[in-house]
Amino acid sequence: MNLLQACTVIEGARKDAVLVATMGAMFAFDALKAAQPRISSVPLMGGAASLGLGLAIAEPTRRIVVVDGDASLLMQLGGLTTVADRQPANFVHFVARNGAQFAGAANLATPAETCVDYAGLAAAAGYRRTYRFEDEAALASHIDEVLGGIGPTFVELRVVTPPPIPGAPLKMEIPDLQFQRMGMEARALSAWLKEHAHG
Amino acid sequence: MGERNFNIPASGYLEALRRNGVDHFVTVPDWVQLGLHDRVERGVEGLSLVRCCNEDQAVCVSAGLRIAGKKPVTVVQNQGLYACINTIRAVGLDASLPIVFLVGQFGREFSNFGQDPSLSSRNTVKLLEPVLNALGVKFWRLEDENDLGRIDEAFAYADKESRPAVLIVGSPTGWN
Repeated sequence: MNLLQACTVIEGARKDAVLVATMGAMFAFDALKAAQPRISSVPLMGGAASLGLGLAIAEPTRRIVVVDGDASLLMQLGGLTTVADRQPANFVHFVARNGAQFAGAANLATPAETCVDYAGLAAAAGYRRTYRFEDEAALASHIDEVLGGIGPTFVELRVVTPPPIPGAPLKMEIPDLQFQRMGMEARALSAWLKEHAHG
Repeated sequence: MGERNFNIPASGYLEALRRNGVDHFVTVPDWVQLGLHDRVERGVEGLSLVRCCNEDQAVCVSAGLRIAGKKPVTVVQNQGLYACINTIRAVGLDASLPIVFLVGQFGREFSNFGQDPSLSSRNTVKLLEPVLNALGVKFWRLEDENDLGRIDEAFAYADKESRPAVLIVGSPTGWN
């Protein structure tokens, strides 16, 4: 499956769960017009899971869905144990594994791509449930179970790497929005959570 | 006059955190604040302890808590603050989230207590304030018990300006 297909399945089942996305997944959810409640960890590789953990602790009756990247997770691998220490039952942590840094631009190989087992790492760190999906149909058939069960839950999604764009940095200026959106989304999410407070 | 006591009691910190509505103690433990850590580890009513593996995670967890209306304090040491500068840039400066830190001055010479930290011979001590100045992050020194009111100032500033604020714990906290 590709990243957009994976994110389409997640978005279709998310309902009012808070979405915390980063990197490629963030853009996929943008393409799907994913609305509040959501926040992006950008530009901040590695921040999504801990940002989601803070939300999960503060909002224990609301589902928090983190959609991380493999290179981002590698930057904060110890964060798996930070999550596990709190055992947030409402926390679901997807990792889109494409084996590439700057996927779709340069496709530089991530460390240990040939041998690392992300779901195994999460299980060893203390996540309660782990899954691994390689095709869209399998993800779709399990998504309600994944989102509905008691967490912390970890889901490794094997996604295909998009083809690189030669010379991408020469053509694509990073827009101001990339540096502004986390704050804008934080304020919008705060307002959304107040408006939709669980009694 | 008696000798100046630089060891602010843990109870003084906890009282200041309580009156500022702090509900989460998000931390990577700090040598300088072990007295405070010891007290929090034993349980403080209304204060939930969140243990993190590194300071990037501590800042992001605090950000999530803040977004959802909670009031965390992020407790680290100077080395940890240096380690998470990019996360402070993203979360505190770009996203304007009011993260309040207690930062211990690990490695500070006892002879430097109450003095200007720039006079320390140790980079880990003397670089802290210049780094915060370079980031544009406001800070307050906590040198003795008379400075505890600065904790209130830092929280008020962070809330009003929606900016990070750093309280510098200059010497080891007392176990009392």
